[in-house]
Amino acid sequence: MGKLEGKVAAITGGTRSIGRGMADAFLAEGAKVVVNGRDPEKGAAAVAEMGGPDRVAFFAGDASKQATVEGLVDFTVDHFGQLDIMCLNSGGVINTAPVFMMTDEEWNLEIDWNLNHVFWGMRKALQHMMPRDTGRILVTSSVEGKAGKAGLPGYNTTKHAVNGLVKAASKEVGTTGITINSLLPGLIETDIVRATGPDSAVAMGLESYQAMLDLFTKESAIKKCNTVEQVAAVAVMLASDAARNITGCMFPIDGGTLPY
Amino acid sequence: MGELDGRVAVISGGTRGIGRAIGEAFLRDGASVVINGRDPAKGARAIEEIDAGDRAHFVQGDSSVREDCDRLIDETVAKYGRIDILVNNAGGSNDNAPVAQLTDEAMDNALKLNLWSTFWCSRRALGHMIPQQWGRIINISSLEGKVGKPGLAIYVTSKHAVNGLTKAMAHEVGTLGITVNALCPGAIETDMMKAEGGKAAESMGMKYEDLLEWFASESSIKRLNEVEDVALVASLLASEAGAGITGSLISIDGGSAPY
Repeated sequence: MGKLEGKVAAITGGTRSIGRGMADAFLAEGAKVVVNGRDPEKGAAAVAEMGGPDRVAFFAGDASKQATVEGLVDFTVDHFGQLDIMCLNSGGVINTAPVFMMTDEEWNLEIDWNLNHVFWGMRKALQHMMPRDTGRILVTSSVEGKAGKAGLPGYNTTKHAVNGLVKAASKEVGTTGITINSLLPGLIETDIVRATGPDSAVAMGLESYQAMLDLFTKESAIKKCNTVEQVAAVAVMLASDAARNITGCMFPIDGGTLPY
Repeated sequence: MGELDGRVAVISGGTRGIGRAIGEAFLRDGASVVINGRDPAKGARAIEEIDAGDRAHFVQGDSSVREDCDRLIDETVAKYGRIDILVNNAGGSNDNAPVAQLTDEAMDNALKLNLWSTFWCSRRALGHMIPQQWGRIINISSLEGKVGKPGLAIYVTSKHAVNGLTKAMAHEVGTLGITVNALCPGAIETDMMKAEGGKAAESMGMKYEDLLEWFASESSIKRLNEVEDVALVASLLASEAGAGITGSLISIDGGSAPY
């Protein structure tokens, strides 16, 4: 028996990186999974890689758009009959910059992508979960949800904000069968970090992409990046029935980076 | 195949309550487990109940005594040949009182049982973990390691200190394959809580039931935690996937701690 037998999960941004790691781990524990992403081709490939359509489905759309996030919940319930685990995982930056150079466009994008997406998805998922009196909501926050780095103002702001949202919402549903937790990974060298990291390094005033990786790992106790599998293992644990008494937790997966 | 096949774990305390639940979880995951306590009769009964054959072993000792902590680690290595996972679980506080009335002995005893025992067992265990470049130290701290309640100063102080020791040790051994974390559970109605909680409540100016109600009311779930909640997270930290989690003070408190 897997730990998530009979459960249905939906994951924003689940075709690769952390979301994909969660999807793979949930499948291994017996769940059915809907993953989301912008590119239908990548989605179809991911579904095939994960074992085909019996237990995996793809929902196309940009996670920074309300219609996508709310549509993902509706699609999951239509397709697999229920929603037990909502992973609000998608997020990142495109053209980050220090505050004095930050454009309104980038700021609004990060607010929509990292914060509003979590709010829209949480609200919609709760509307489905509350009548059933059961559910798990996992928010992929970041070590930057507690710390701060030069050149990442939007990311720091939105990741702090989702932690606040998790604390408030977890208290609202604390006596129901629903838990809401944040995962706070340290830097993981995912596809998106490789893609946007060089520009982010410039915004952070660093010489190179490698210098950015070094900055993050130097702050940790393990002196290396975290891995997708480490985050996925915590996600499985928090998604399981056994974790019913863990809620409102900012769960660090950061190799000893955060001071609290 | 269990996640902890071939691993050797030692749990200070461990005949009952949180430590016992962690020991049973580790056994289910395939580890050999040494538990410890002052009373040999309770130890023998726990080993019998656990019923894990040669994979479970009891070492008599008082966790507030250095020689006993050292011997707990030494006997674990003598019995199973190695030590991979140390759970510093023994703890508690007696003779709680508001600081104005607190005795030196009460503070000293609480520090011995919660802080010094964690230091002694960890120091001795690291002597084995560092050469093998693999280890997991899991300190059973408390919600009270992050916040503070009146009348429990000795407990609050010693659990905060354990959290500090956790962070420092984690950075010392961070690149050596060894993780060090603290688990911070909310109140759990263990045997020890039932036995000692009444006196603690008295020190806080209330009845035992009021103390439990206070803890529950601070949480989001409006109920107490359970020993299985702590064992669940301990199993994760002990696993390979736990390699990326260190120096963390992990709240298992139903949403009580503010951070």
